[in-house]
Amino acid sequence: MNAQTSQIRDALMKRRVRKGALGLAMLALAFYFGFIALLVLHSRH
Amino acid sequence: MAHAHSSDTAQHDDHHDQPATGIKRWLFATNHKDIGTMYLVFSLIMFFIGGAMAMIIRAELFKPGLQLVDPVFFNQMTTNHALIMIFGAVMPAFVGLANWMIPMQIGAPDMALPRMNNFSFWILPFAFTLLLSTLLVPGGMAAGGWTLYPPLSLQTGDSFPMLIFAIHMMGASSIMGAINVIVTIMNMRAPGMNLLKMPLFAWSWLITAYLLIAVMPVLAGAVTMLLTDHFFKTSFFNAAGGGDPVMFEHIFWFFGHPEVYIMVLPAFGIISEILPTFSRKPLFGATSMIYAIASIAFLSFIVWGHHMFADGMPVAAQLFYMMATMLIAVPTGVKVFNWTATMWRGSLSFEPPMLFAIAFLFLFSIGGFSGLMLAIVPADFQYNQTYFVVAHFHYVLVPGAIFGIMAGVYYWLPKWTGHMYNMTLAKWHFWLSAIFVNVLFFPQHFLGLAGMPRRIPDYAVQFTDWNMVSSIGGFAFGLAQILFPMIIVQCIRGGKKASSLVWEGTHPTGLEWTLPSPPPYHSFTTAPEVP
Repeated sequence: MNAQTSQIRDALMKRRVRKGALGLAMLALAFYFGFIALLVLHSRH
Repeated sequence: MAHAHSSDTAQHDDHHDQPATGIKRWLFATNHKDIGTMYLVFSLIMFFIGGAMAMIIRAELFKPGLQLVDPVFFNQMTTNHALIMIFGAVMPAFVGLANWMIPMQIGAPDMALPRMNNFSFWILPFAFTLLLSTLLVPGGMAAGGWTLYPPLSLQTGDSFPMLIFAIHMMGASSIMGAINVIVTIMNMRAPGMNLLKMPLFAWSWLITAYLLIAVMPVLAGAVTMLLTDHFFKTSFFNAAGGGDPVMFEHIFWFFGHPEVYIMVLPAFGIISEILPTFSRKPLFGATSMIYAIASIAFLSFIVWGHHMFADGMPVAAQLFYMMATMLIAVPTGVKVFNWTATMWRGSLSFEPPMLFAIAFLFLFSIGGFSGLMLAIVPADFQYNQTYFVVAHFHYVLVPGAIFGIMAGVYYWLPKWTGHMYNMTLAKWHFWLSAIFVNVLFFPQHFLGLAGMPRRIPDYAVQFTDWNMVSSIGGFAFGLAQILFPMIIVQCIRGGKKASSLVWEGTHPTGLEWTLPSPPPYHSFTTAPEVP
């Protein structure tokens, strides 16, 4: 790890961290748009 | 899934192992300790701003009648006091503690995503500047309550879009912070530290982070729909256009109830660290504590309807929400039992963190018991919208969440600064806080049971005496908090040198105690081996 930027140098771990972060961000977006979509459907009935 | 550090990851650029100097250190901070410090300082500032609003509220309620502020401003104060305390004080304080402690507790050199860490902090000052600047726009701050129920919240003036944007920014910051905590814990634990060996504070934060990712987007979605109702003529929540205002309440509380646990679970983690240390015994039932936190987190998703009993709902739904809510008492009871059993026959000593932890145990339980009363549907019809509810949630959040934060700061402050703080002053801070928090909030139970409604600037004369007592408690509690930054600043400037163990004669278990006080800029130059 670089002390000035705190960046991880190990490629494998970097990939794992990136994948984990992207997956969780997708989950958050799914909740955001999912609830709006549910409400759109609800308001049509 | 414990992943060992590769030697490469743990290596440091020795010649760069120093913080940047001046403003750059803070603006471009990627170090978990610097970012943790900024979160904690920010939350302390917000605590005093939100506290000042509380003082205005209590000053107005000192006597019946309108004397200091007009009713609209009073409503602005109640709304923004809540928003600032929840999103500005309590949540950032826990993120600050997570930033400081999680890498040190799990044996990592830093958080996994340091640049995102910087971004998630620096969003906050902009979000709260935007929120506070609504005081200056025509119509003033939002005044419809922190719950933002439509149609009332849709009547907010020019500050409405600013409020919504501020909430979006706070949410984005929290989600980024949560992602960072999860990927750090899942990927950067020291070799040998499996999940069951992980300290309880890190565990409580792991579960809290999942809660955050699940519910903050829901709040963001709800307020986005409020925004489109306000500006783009949609009718999600507008009954006149075929919308359903009660639906907003469902969505809001689907976020709002887990939010309560977001503010309390990390405090559970802190208390679970402090009580064993000052009892000089291992935590009783450590594994059951983890299951209890996970159970509370799960149950928090299925109880939101108890906030809406008085809205009207089918009896089957009322029974479900009532029983599910009462079920939360089981894992919470497990925790309280385990904390008590940890202290049982321990060699107790009463340093400030222990005092705050014990006060947490007693006073949070009072908030828990009044919560059980509110869970009973027919009783809730009487308590709903009264000061009993105000007393309940303040017992959960002040001697619960805020005492938990203070306990954590007093526990780890010597580790952070390398100095012991003034124990006498800290004990004064504790006793004044513990006494006056009860003078402030306990009478509110009586006021609520006697029927005093919440969110009003004026009241019937029979409520005068207890309101005066409550206000005196409020002013004294507020004044006592001035000691807190004083003690912290004094400790940063100097004091008796703290050893790496800090609390001599105790046997704390976390990896943070293996580091010197203060710890090096990057916590672990080589990954520690956990036996």
